[in-house]
Amino acid sequence: MANSNLPRRIIKETQRLLSEPAPGISASPSEDNMRYFNVMILGPTQSPYEGGVFKLELFLPEEYPMAAPKVRFLTKIYHPNIDKLGRICLDILKDKWSPALQIRTVLLSIQALLSAPNPDDPLSENIAKHWKSNEAEAVETAKEWTRLYAIGA
Amino acid sequence: MGSKVSDHHLSTVRSIVGSEFTDMDIIRALHMAKNDVNAAINIILDTHTAPRLNLTRPNNHRSVSPPKPSPSPPIVTKPSSSEQRIDNNSDDWWLVSCGEVTGLSTCKGRTINTDEAVIFKFPTKKLSSPSTGKGFGRTAACSEIVRFSTEQAGEIGRIPNEWARCLLPLVRDQKVRIEGKCKFGPQVLGIMDSIILSVSVFINSSMFGKHHQVSLKDATNSTDESVFHPLPTLFRLLGLNPFKKAELTPGDFYSNKRPLSERVTLPRVKFEDPSQNGNENDNEDSISETEVENIVGVGSSAELEEMDPPVNLLCDLRPYQKQALYWMIQMEKGQCMDETATTLHPCWEAYRLVDKRELIVYLNAFSGEATIEFPSTLQMARGGILADAMGLGKTIMTISLLVAHSGKGEAVGNQPMAKSFTEGGEVSDNVHTFSNIPKKATKFSGFDKPTKQMNSLTSGGNLIICPMTLLGQWKAEIETHVHPGSLSLYVHYGQSRPKDAKSLTQSDVVITTYGILASEFSSENADDNGGLFSVRWFRVVLDEAHTIKSSKSQVSVAAAALIADRRWCLTGTPIQNSLQDIYSLLRFLRIEPWGHWAWWNKLIQKPFEGGDERGLKLVQSILKPIMLRRTKHSTDREGKPILVLPPADMQVVYCEQTESEQDFYGALFKRSKVKFDQFVEQGRVLHNYASILELLLRLRQCCDHPFLVMSRGDTQDFADLNKLAKRFLRGTYNASDGEVKEAPSRAYVQEVVEELRKGEQGECPICLEAFEDAVLTPCAHRLCRECLLASLRNATSGLCPVCRKAVNRQDLITAPTENRFQVDIEKNWVESCKVTALLSELQNLRLSGSKSIVFSQWTAFLDLLQIPFTRNNISFVRLDGTLSQQQREKVIKQFSEDSTTLVLLMSLKVGGMGINVTAASNAFVMDPWWNPAVEEQAVMRIHRIGQTKKVTITRFIVKGTVEERMEAVKARKQRVISGALTDQEFRSARIEELKMLFT
Repeated sequence: MANSNLPRRIIKETQRLLSEPAPGISASPSEDNMRYFNVMILGPTQSPYEGGVFKLELFLPEEYPMAAPKVRFLTKIYHPNIDKLGRICLDILKDKWSPALQIRTVLLSIQALLSAPNPDDPLSENIAKHWKSNEAEAVETAKEWTRLYAIGA
Repeated sequence: MGSKVSDHHLSTVRSIVGSEFTDMDIIRALHMAKNDVNAAINIILDTHTAPRLNLTRPNNHRSVSPPKPSPSPPIVTKPSSSEQRIDNNSDDWWLVSCGEVTGLSTCKGRTINTDEAVIFKFPTKKLSSPSTGKGFGRTAACSEIVRFSTEQAGEIGRIPNEWARCLLPLVRDQKVRIEGKCKFGPQVLGIMDSIILSVSVFINSSMFGKHHQVSLKDATNSTDESVFHPLPTLFRLLGLNPFKKAELTPGDFYSNKRPLSERVTLPRVKFEDPSQNGNENDNEDSISETEVENIVGVGSSAELEEMDPPVNLLCDLRPYQKQALYWMIQMEKGQCMDETATTLHPCWEAYRLVDKRELIVYLNAFSGEATIEFPSTLQMARGGILADAMGLGKTIMTISLLVAHSGKGEAVGNQPMAKSFTEGGEVSDNVHTFSNIPKKATKFSGFDKPTKQMNSLTSGGNLIICPMTLLGQWKAEIETHVHPGSLSLYVHYGQSRPKDAKSLTQSDVVITTYGILASEFSSENADDNGGLFSVRWFRVVLDEAHTIKSSKSQVSVAAAALIADRRWCLTGTPIQNSLQDIYSLLRFLRIEPWGHWAWWNKLIQKPFEGGDERGLKLVQSILKPIMLRRTKHSTDREGKPILVLPPADMQVVYCEQTESEQDFYGALFKRSKVKFDQFVEQGRVLHNYASILELLLRLRQCCDHPFLVMSRGDTQDFADLNKLAKRFLRGTYNASDGEVKEAPSRAYVQEVVEELRKGEQGECPICLEAFEDAVLTPCAHRLCRECLLASLRNATSGLCPVCRKAVNRQDLITAPTENRFQVDIEKNWVESCKVTALLSELQNLRLSGSKSIVFSQWTAFLDLLQIPFTRNNISFVRLDGTLSQQQREKVIKQFSEDSTTLVLLMSLKVGGMGINVTAASNAFVMDPWWNPAVEEQAVMRIHRIGQTKKVTITRFIVKGTVEERMEAVKARKQRVISGALTDQEFRSARIEELKMLFT
């Protein structure tokens, strides 16, 4: 993809992400494709993901910002709204997208989703069931997965 | 009587028999007694034996220990059976005194023997905390009743409420312990018989030391309304008299018996009645000063001694400034060092405990705090309020103080002022020397911790806090007037400022802003090194100290929380709006007991508001000894004015509106009056105060220039004004090329216009660029037209990208462009009558090269003025709130030094703060301001020390408009501020005022 005709908005967002990163979030564009971002989100404190470093990929489609960015977890994570392929169930990434949102706001929302899983609107049926039937156990599993896949990797 | 047991009976019986009995016991008894309460009590007391308490027997004298700290079982104090027990007490318990309590029997038929030990039982804490001092009285539930019993007979009776009330909180917190035995009682007890008990009260050492804890945030507690303090009450009940009384007690204020002026032992400043030389021309200038004088008085300080400034000060001081230096040095000394340390703080009283170890306990008569550490006057405020009127050089006086005495707070602890003065402090007449100061009699275990906490703060130098606008000026003045190298200077400002105490303590003088102060206070808990709050300052100076006047504001609380040995407030207007402004200053200065809101409110604020002049008198007597205030009218010993400034001419230019202007104003006025009259009819004037002020605002702006009103974009409300607006535009506009733009057709714009007004360029939330052809959604979000349209789902409608509200394309409003005006003001430029008048004044001055400052409250008007200035080749600079500190300094420098720059456009608010622009000798105040003090302050930027030329101050008033009415209202307002009106009168006065404005 040609980086030369990258929209001003994307350049500006990228600059801001690099100069004033959001706490617990890092996003840097790939060298060969400026629309592709390598993202890392720290597991929020007091969540089962605390201590974990989660890798994600974020891609800005041609229509961005009129269309939502595509985001996916690369690190395995036990979360009712994230499936085993790392796809995320988050309204602003779907029908609630607005061009006034930005990469930063999207990533902050995902970080917030880690703090507040929502088993009532699940992507992973099994995990959601687990969460609802025995939350304590589900949280333990989430912690275990965090230890296994998100720490020291 | 039915057989049903009422709750009322149940609780009555419970209150007598106590909580050891179950509800079932009581209900059963009431049934048996057919709901006769007395009979039921007797049944219970007769049929049950002693209350089931697991009392620990005092098996020997040695094992007695203070009550266990578990709060759940009823707190029981153990009986003492012999005197020698006291000596065997652990070190923590000290005998306060012995006394007599008349208990009330709650039993019938039991016996108590003389000298039989009694056990007191304190109810455990209920949810509703009774220790606040509120809600005592009849309603006192059984949870507040203290009972006593004997080993043999079980519960015997209860002690009077007054005892219970003060013992309860103290015993609960394990601060006090009580032991008692029967002194006299009837052989066989009947209900309500008196039993005389002799009691011994012990106090725990943990009670003390609290006073010494330095809590950064304790200023926030100051709204505590409680004035009941159990410990002093207990002492009184025990008949314990202070061997050294507080000089200042709450009682003094209630009875108002004594003057307060004895408190401070300085060479008294003689305050005379404000000598208003009946100079009527000066009226405009002295309005606010008169207000202040009414409240605080003004002194001719002729009696004060002068003190020569130190050699390191590179400028000469005028005699009255030398007096100020002397006064400030004296105030910081308080009294001669030895005596400050040995003189009891006037709010504290000293009690000698009965305990053989001869402990002396000090109680604060106001706060109820207790300590065993001698509360000397060292803890009192050292410092005061330097309230000289503007232009007398408070800054230079303060700098001379810094130079004269700037040692860093080298010795911390009990003797913070290790440096002694060489001048030899005069000891004034009424020092109460406390001859035999007891050295700490015995060491309390674990007592010296809290003081260490305070010692752990790093000692710093001088901290000067000023508004952002003055940072540069303070720095510049110190640099110019102080011999290089004698004071090191550091400006604590900006994002990257260091936060550690170390870098703050390296310089002799640290200058910072109120903004930094507040932000470091709020973040103080977040990171441990709390910047300004991690230092114990040698001296803190608040410049423009009225900035902290709202006691609940963050900045005010923050200022009060600073730790410093010397505290100063500099302000030319110690009172700006209300008497309460003073409270914040006193709290900061630690003028006890006025830092406690409860006392201030009770003794000053409430009486003052209620029209009781004692409140005002009290304030005056508090302020007199701690405040130095001279005005330009003050005279020296020989009766000459202390400061001779070149004369100032005050003139008012009354402008006459043009016909088109008048029509526009008239229509606006009519509309506003209709609205106002509606409010009056509904009797909701004060409820709609804000909207009314808004109406007035528009009228006032219209007086400056009708464009200002047109810029507000609320044309839906004023749609029919458009025609008039157009007519006004046509007045001089020859329909050559441009067209009058269509006005926006929706409201909402207002807020966004406000944003534009503040000069915020902003960026489109979609393209993140500066707006291009901005539109407003009905939900008042601003976006580029292109960006918004691209985001809509279809060609005609969609959701607002910012808030997701539905948006129709046809609802979009073209946003006003950056110049804030709907009309293209450049093309359509018309002079208003005020502008014409101003221009002609400026033209006259141009030849002489005399410089002028033009003040307006509205930066939009400053925008407008730039047009004719540019057209007429009047070179100008501009100073308003949007400029950074550096930009401001640059502007002032250019104006002062460049001889071709003749005009400084300045917003009134910015101009109010200590900026020194004596290069100008003319001030034009374009619009009257509600608070004359603000106006005056701004104008005094040019009429102050350093001004060599004659000064002319010109105010513009448009005839027959709200501006003229405002002048009349101001005269009334003076009365309100000076306290001549009560609260009720004040309300109706406000309505009256408003009515005046709409005539």
